Amino acid sequence: MKLGKEEIQKVVLGVLLFFGLIYSYFDLLLGPLSKRQEATQASIAALGPEIAKAKEQIEKTRQLELNADAAMLTARQVDTMIPEGSPVAWFPTRMTEFFKKQGIDKALTRMNGEMPDKELPGFRKLVWGVDLPKVEFVNFAEAVAALENQEPLFEIGALQIDASREDVESQHALITLNNLVKQ
Amino acid sequence: MALRLNLYHEVLKAKALKRRDPLKISIYALSAIAAMCACWYLIQFMKMHSMSDELARVKAEFDQVEPAAKAARKREEELTAQSQISTQLAKRMEGRFYWAPVLAQIMQVVPREVQITRMGGDISGEGLRRCMITIDGLSAGIDPRRVAEDLRTAIAEKFSPNYKNVTSTFKMLEDGTEMVMLDGKQTATAVFAINVQLYTGEEKSNAPVRKKR
Repeated sequence: MKLGKEEIQKVVLGVLLFFGLIYSYFDLLLGPLSKRQEATQASIAALGPEIAKAKEQIEKTRQLELNADAAMLTARQVDTMIPEGSPVAWFPTRMTEFFKKQGIDKALTRMNGEMPDKELPGFRKLVWGVDLPKVEFVNFAEAVAALENQEPLFEIGALQIDASREDVESQHALITLNNLVKQ
Repeated sequence: MALRLNLYHEVLKAKALKRRDPLKISIYALSAIAAMCACWYLIQFMKMHSMSDELARVKAEFDQVEPAAKAARKREEELTAQSQISTQLAKRMEGRFYWAPVLAQIMQVVPREVQITRMGGDISGEGLRRCMITIDGLSAGIDPRRVAEDLRTAIAEKFSPNYKNVTSTFKMLEDGTEMVMLDGKQTATAVFAINVQLYTGEEKSNAPVRKKR
């Protein structure tokens, strides 16, 4: 079969058209579609672990919430131990009443200082000086024991007992007391 | 045998030529390829559509879960902080230094030949806590220095089972200038000052350091 000039032109045109069509198909249709597919696939793959992580976080918090009551029991108990208002208003009175109950009539309490507590945010430590001008050693020791047992937020940082020359039966005691209060 | 004459051979030849037209064949071939491509594209498009639906579903789920997770994370931080405060408070209360047993033990070891004139003590440190006690007094007897020495060793022996690294040393021990009446007899005295040092609690352990690779 012999092709004429016109037919050869048609064949060449057809081949060009074919290549143009193939190029357009891959470049304009299939290529972008594949890219979109890849991007979508990547997004789905990326969101999967994120969702799993989020669900895990929710579950973890739920479990924590269930155990929170027991974990925060001490904090709640401490809250009830600290009276409302300025400590200067209630602490000296409380000390006077406490020592009176222990048979020590006179107790002078004054604040010596205050410092924030780094390990306990929301709390501060107050330093008090409690002066007991006339105490009997055994009675004083019992009062110290009662104070340490009844007041878990108090800690005696220092103490000093001096024997009196005039009255051999009584001593003069000075206690430095640290107390935790809310900020 | 009958002779057959094909009077239409020219027409048939033209038809055959028309059938074998390369342009026509090419158009058919191209059409077939185009149809295949279109089908493939449609399949891929459908696949893409289902993937888009899947992505939308996953995104919707993420949008729903993410704020809840954020709130949960915040709540977890709050709960952890509160729990840490609670633990720290319990630790602080349990780690207090108790002076009442110290006073009781001192009372038990002081003999009748000794009068304590001054006693002071202070506690310092976090974790492993150091307690310094100074005891000033007057001892009486035939050998008042011996009495003071007995008191010093008795203090160390009494505290050792309950506290760590107990040391009891004389800061001062001198003969007293005054005589005192003991058991109806005038006896010599000695003035002493004892320093007692003891430790309690546990040393704070540092957080383990992660090795760099």
